[in-house]
Amino acid sequence: MQYDVSAPPPGKPGRVDGRRLRSERTKQLIIEAFLALLREDQQMPTAAQIAERAGYSVRSIFERFPDLIALRVAATDYSLAQAAALAPARHIDGDRQTRIRSQILTRANTCERGIALWRVLLAVQDESEELRVRVRVARDRTVDRLNLMYKPELSTLSELRRRDLLIALEALTDMESWARMRELYGLSFDEACAVWIHAVDRLLPPTPAAA
Amino acid sequence: MTDRVDDSPAKVSDRKSVQIDGRRLRGERTKQVIIEAYLALLRENPRIPTASRIAERAGYSVRSIFERFADLHALRIAATDYSLTLGNTQAPIRHADGDRPTRLKSQVETRAQTCERWLPLWRALNANQGDSAELKLRIKVARDMIRQRLEVMYEPELSTLPEAARKKTMIALELLTDYESWGRMRELHGLTTEESCSVWRQAIDDLLPATPSASQ
Repeated sequence: MQYDVSAPPPGKPGRVDGRRLRSERTKQLIIEAFLALLREDQQMPTAAQIAERAGYSVRSIFERFPDLIALRVAATDYSLAQAAALAPARHIDGDRQTRIRSQILTRANTCERGIALWRVLLAVQDESEELRVRVRVARDRTVDRLNLMYKPELSTLSELRRRDLLIALEALTDMESWARMRELYGLSFDEACAVWIHAVDRLLPPTPAAA
Repeated sequence: MTDRVDDSPAKVSDRKSVQIDGRRLRGERTKQVIIEAYLALLRENPRIPTASRIAERAGYSVRSIFERFADLHALRIAATDYSLTLGNTQAPIRHADGDRPTRLKSQVETRAQTCERWLPLWRALNANQGDSAELKLRIKVARDMIRQRLEVMYEPELSTLPEAARKKTMIALELLTDYESWGRMRELHGLTTEESCSVWRQAIDDLLPATPSASQ
């Protein structure tokens, strides 16, 4: 019996795939350990702390990530993907109040989950162009969502006025704005949402009759 | 005729007092130069400067710094206090009795100038506050001052609101006119100072309720 040498030997794909899967799983556990430590301490964890939390050696980390910046970039990508999956746009065809409530609730949950990583990202973004790009992507997504949810109201404005309103809405619903309401003002989740709902409703122009 | 030094106890005390006052003044001046050097370095780079860099910039020795400040943390506290006082002096409340557009223009322009001047230090202060209760307290004081200013400037409109709505509006105004909100308009969106002021004026105008007729 002869083997076709151009094809991989039988049995090998399974082994390679299994190894790759295990390696991906290890990467994911390292990223999750990194994010868990960030949420707990709000400070950049060391490689030793990440390794201990993930249950691997420090060497295992650097076998999968060339340096800690690469790990931060991977963790940011993971979080952005997770945030997108957990926060789909809902009620985009609803009436004004439904859309405001839906957008605020989704944004509030994203902020609640993501503030720890966001703070670290902002603090270290100057270390890497890749991190800066991701900060920009996250901001663009927020503005895209505002555009989508408040399309009826925004469509009534001139281009300049629309730009200015989006800037104001983005500032109001920034991650740090959320954190200040929760940490500095001591508002509950619902109270903080109520502040945003009230303010967004005031900032938006009247909804056109057709919407 | 010879000049005679009056050695009476009262005169000796006067001379000593002048000497001590002069020494104290020089000491205060040195402290201020060190603080200003520290602040200048922070404006250039938000990372806490080392004692030797501060000394070099101020034109004194490292020892001079630690003769006047117990440690670098004490210098950070003193620099923050100095900045808060200076920031307050540079931004007096104006036109508090004006009509709505005048008050909006005045408050936004003053706040914009403050943000433009102090944003780098504000970032450094926030980034380096660590676990310091003293620095956290000063950040809180700065925020309280911003809120008090908003309350004074928009009292006619805020006074028409029930307590819950007033609180929501106040928080929204503070979030909107935060230092980083200004920084993003200028750095990320590339707006000019006037364009940024216009964004704030319009948004504050939308957030505030109607002005009662007596204040229009």
